[in-house]
Amino acid sequence: MSNTSADPRFATDFNPRTDPPLDFTDKSLGEMTADDYRALGFMCGLEVHQQILTRGKLFCRCPAGRRAHELDAEVLRHMRPTLSELGEYDGTALMEFKTKKEIVYLLERESVCTYEIDDTPPFEIDEEAVKTSIEVASLFNLNLVSELHVMRKQYLDGSIPTGFQRTAMIGLSGSIPFRVPELGVDRELRIRQLSLEEDSCREVSDVGHRITFWTDRLGTPLTEAVTEPELLTPLEVFAGAHLVARTAQITGKVRRGPGAARQDTNVSVAGGRRTEIKGVQHHSALPLLVHVEAFRQLNLLRVKAELKHRGVPSEMLQLPVKGLPWELSPLVADVGDALRGVDFGPIRDALETGQTVACVRLPTFAGLLAHTTQPGVTFAREFAERVRVISCLTARPFMIHSDVKDYGISSTKWRQLRQRLHANKWDALMVVWGPTADVATAAREICNRAQDALAGVPAETRQAFVDGTTGFERILPGADRMYPDTDTPPLRIPNQWVADIQSDLPERPWNRLLRYEALGLSPALARSLEQASWSFLFDGLGLHEGALARRVAFALERCLPYLRRSGVDPWLPAAMRVRPLIEAVENQRVRVEALEACLCALVSEPDVQSDKILARFMIKKDEPAKLEVLADQIGERLVEIGAKGEDVALRWAMGQVMPHMLGRMSPAVVEGKLKEVLAARSHP
Amino acid sequence: MSDDKELYKGYREPCLAIMKRFGITVWSEVRAHTSRGQFEGLVLPRSETSDADHLVLKLISGYNMGIRYDTIESLEKTGYREAHYKIPEKAFPTDPSKPRVKLLGTGGTIASRLDYRTGAVIPAFSPGELYGSVPELADICNLDTDKLFGVFSENMGPEQYLTLAENVGAAIAKGYDGVVIGHGTDTMHHTAAALSFMVQNPPVPVIMVGSQRSSDRPSSDAAQNLLSATWAAAHGPIAEVMVCMFGPTSDRYNLLHRGTRVRKMHSSYRSTFRTLGDIPLAMVECGKVEPLKKDYAPRRDDRNVTIQAFFEERVTLLYYYPNMHPDLLESMIDLGYKGIIIAGTGLGHVNRKIYPALEHAKRAGVQVYMTLQTLWGFVQMHVYETGREILELGVVPLANMLPEVGYIKLGWALGVHPNDPEAAKQLMMTSVAGEMTSREPHDGYLIFQGGIPEVKDFLERVWQ
Ligand SMILES: [Zn+2]
Repeated sequence: MSNTSADPRFATDFNPRTDPPLDFTDKSLGEMTADDYRALGFMCGLEVHQQILTRGKLFCRCPAGRRAHELDAEVLRHMRPTLSELGEYDGTALMEFKTKKEIVYLLERESVCTYEIDDTPPFEIDEEAVKTSIEVASLFNLNLVSELHVMRKQYLDGSIPTGFQRTAMIGLSGSIPFRVPELGVDRELRIRQLSLEEDSCREVSDVGHRITFWTDRLGTPLTEAVTEPELLTPLEVFAGAHLVARTAQITGKVRRGPGAARQDTNVSVAGGRRTEIKGVQHHSALPLLVHVEAFRQLNLLRVKAELKHRGVPSEMLQLPVKGLPWELSPLVADVGDALRGVDFGPIRDALETGQTVACVRLPTFAGLLAHTTQPGVTFAREFAERVRVISCLTARPFMIHSDVKDYGISSTKWRQLRQRLHANKWDALMVVWGPTADVATAAREICNRAQDALAGVPAETRQAFVDGTTGFERILPGADRMYPDTDTPPLRIPNQWVADIQSDLPERPWNRLLRYEALGLSPALARSLEQASWSFLFDGLGLHEGALARRVAFALERCLPYLRRSGVDPWLPAAMRVRPLIEAVENQRVRVEALEACLCALVSEPDVQSDKILARFMIKKDEPAKLEVLADQIGERLVEIGAKGEDVALRWAMGQVMPHMLGRMSPAVVEGKLKEVLAARSHP
Repeated sequence: MSDDKELYKGYREPCLAIMKRFGITVWSEVRAHTSRGQFEGLVLPRSETSDADHLVLKLISGYNMGIRYDTIESLEKTGYREAHYKIPEKAFPTDPSKPRVKLLGTGGTIASRLDYRTGAVIPAFSPGELYGSVPELADICNLDTDKLFGVFSENMGPEQYLTLAENVGAAIAKGYDGVVIGHGTDTMHHTAAALSFMVQNPPVPVIMVGSQRSSDRPSSDAAQNLLSATWAAAHGPIAEVMVCMFGPTSDRYNLLHRGTRVRKMHSSYRSTFRTLGDIPLAMVECGKVEPLKKDYAPRRDDRNVTIQAFFEERVTLLYYYPNMHPDLLESMIDLGYKGIIIAGTGLGHVNRKIYPALEHAKRAGVQVYMTLQTLWGFVQMHVYETGREILELGVVPLANMLPEVGYIKLGWALGVHPNDPEAAKQLMMTSVAGEMTSREPHDGYLIFQGGIPEVKDFLERVWQ
């Protein structure tokens, strides 16, 4: 069933290369080179979701960005699959239907109305959200639609009470400069499309047949930017995600904070097919996730190759779709009797509470279930996850298999089961237990997954775990899950809107970067400044190319994060408060060494007038005299240390004197004076 | 010309000329070169109610978008892809051990599937189509269907009431174990009232059903409504004209409402139908009908039913408001209306200003009845002076009959007795199908006030 799934946005789900490098040695992320990934046929695309900063939600007038505090009510729903274009149920629909989930929505009066729980049709689309998404689309150089059509994208997982997400295409086919010098990347990153859509619910729990969601986030406007699958290494994925996110953020009209930006990645390797890792919140998690996924696919392809070699036909793994499999198929047996009184708690408990224990024979799968697919994870987990999600088994554990010898039931019992199912030594057995109906679903799902193994990589969405591995989430939705929303009229995007927005676009991040580099900033400093919240302050200072610009960028980078860390409010002064300092440095009224200290004072003492602060750092006439006094004060000790060597003594002396002279006198002058004192006192 | 209509479905000038210039029709696959860039997709028909300026493309991604005519530089035809959508017919399995149910269609869609490109809903109605989309129906009964008409709920009227009543009578005569009527929800309670009067003492359930969320969406209430209604019709113990719709907004159970006490109370909630002034007849949940009231008419084995399919159209419903002028009422009399239901304030009041018009109505033989815009409670015109004065003017109080039910009943009563006003009046004053009750239970009026702590507690515990 999963073989028929396809996302229409991707002309094909399959990697263009069909030759998996089966003999490639598994390596860790750190050991891999760009050439290694090329050998794997690694390719990855991103879907970057970014909530837009609006006061209200996209299709109703509830406040956006509010996190619910109080539970006011709960609503229970089910999602019934609808017929596809061909009058049949598609893969996802069938799967979700199989799960027969009770979906519970938690409501808070302040954050949701009757629209979110699908008891009222949508109101007019939020115009600000549309305009912001046009702005973002313009930054991506996308071709803009002239009339916006709201579509329904079906989701049967319950994450949206209507069963579909309202979404509208904003622009298509753009590209942005993708330049990462340290990765040797200097090309265009093509952006396939940008759509404006409503956010889904927050999942609270998913246990057995009941999944629970908070609805507060539901309906918040967000943009989804989709890149072409042209990111060729995990570090490129990281850089690409960063660039795409940054481009939206530069508008200043997007939400920040936990959950406000999330990305999905589409990964495949040669011979594999696109799998989607959903909802990754931190860019830093991406490289390991996509790396592990690449090798998971490679290992599934190794299993496929071995199965092909062993020659089991897919039809042999087919179970009847209805009824109890153990009554209808020689592949499955109810082994409750055989295992009664067994010395393994989970199965014993299941039998004592009247549950069913079934054994499934997987012809020619012996040994493969123990094959490693992800770090610390074997192929058997692919089965276990599918079974847990689809048949809703909640016991832990709920299954064992014959490739693991020292856990579960004794070898004598395994032998009995082998006889019972007429299994030979090439066959693997899986034992699964739980409520009868769920075990029937589980047995079917085990066979479905086994059939998928013959095809290689199933098209699925996967959830990310913190250790970099992923787990099955659901089958990738079918092609025909998008249809027009008949509740909302098309919205005309007037030329005037586009003209107004495009005449006032913020400077694109890559242009800003070039501008900083042109000022003489190093690529690394330019990049960190470009991403810094104080870049606008920097821009407002009107700096010219050269050392001062570098110095200011540095000073800002050192001073602001430091103050923030030490608990000072990250208050950014206006450019006009800082500009006199720059002028003073240019006119040599303040030494360049004092720049950072003075800047810190300007930021951390917002209530003190800037000229008062500046005055503290001005070069003063009495400085030589002051240095004289200071040098005199430490003279004795200086000579003592001088015995250990001049360098040591000078370093110590600079440390003593410079804090008092910082910005008042050049370090070279201070050092000269100290040398003088040392020489004079050592050799009187 | 009609060919053109199909070829350029929904398109008008200025788009039409551009399509013709480049040899493009609907269902053409095109590459559009525009001042906003290049787009590729399938040309979809344009909705008649949308503006004339845009060409609609379905992109490969499934999204639709509009291209404004004045941005188009050229259109390149790259293919053609037309498809017609049909619900697959699957033979509805028959099982002689299961009851027989007749489903009558009026035009509202209870089951349907989508044309994924245009979003148009394709109704499923024949047993085969219904089986294709709601296969669980076959576990309940043997189903036969008749599509009587295809009108929207708001266009249902006397003509349809009569046809419907006659068809219900015919289905009963043919031995069906229950009748289900698919109906749009807006005027479902009007039709339910009409059938309650026109089909008296049916031996089997006659159940109206619809959906608040169309069945093309996964969250639809349609399947649950249809399955509950069909179950109650096939197996339920109550032989009355009823409405079967969602109980709470959660997918938990349905309610069976008596046809004369039910009213649509919210424009869009799924739990929009409520029994007013009484409690619902029963709950329907997972193949089980749980009666809440004891005094329902039980299912019988006989085929006896009184069909009185008559309706006098010259009746009206007047929603009173303060300072209403008598000329409104006068004009109704002048226009030849034979009966007027007033929805009055409070216990059944109108202002003195219209007394002369009421007097005129009495003289002209126009029957005037009093119901309540409070919806709950009884007309009690003896309590205040005003009420007594209005009674003097010949206005007849209708106890706790709902205003819409009063309107339907008056049309029916005058239809049954076209030449005998007194008999019609007697009929109006007699409860025929529970439209007037002798008493209102304490929980016949429950509108919980949101925000109050105990209601909040209740919702947290019970709503789902
Ligand atoms: Zn809302």
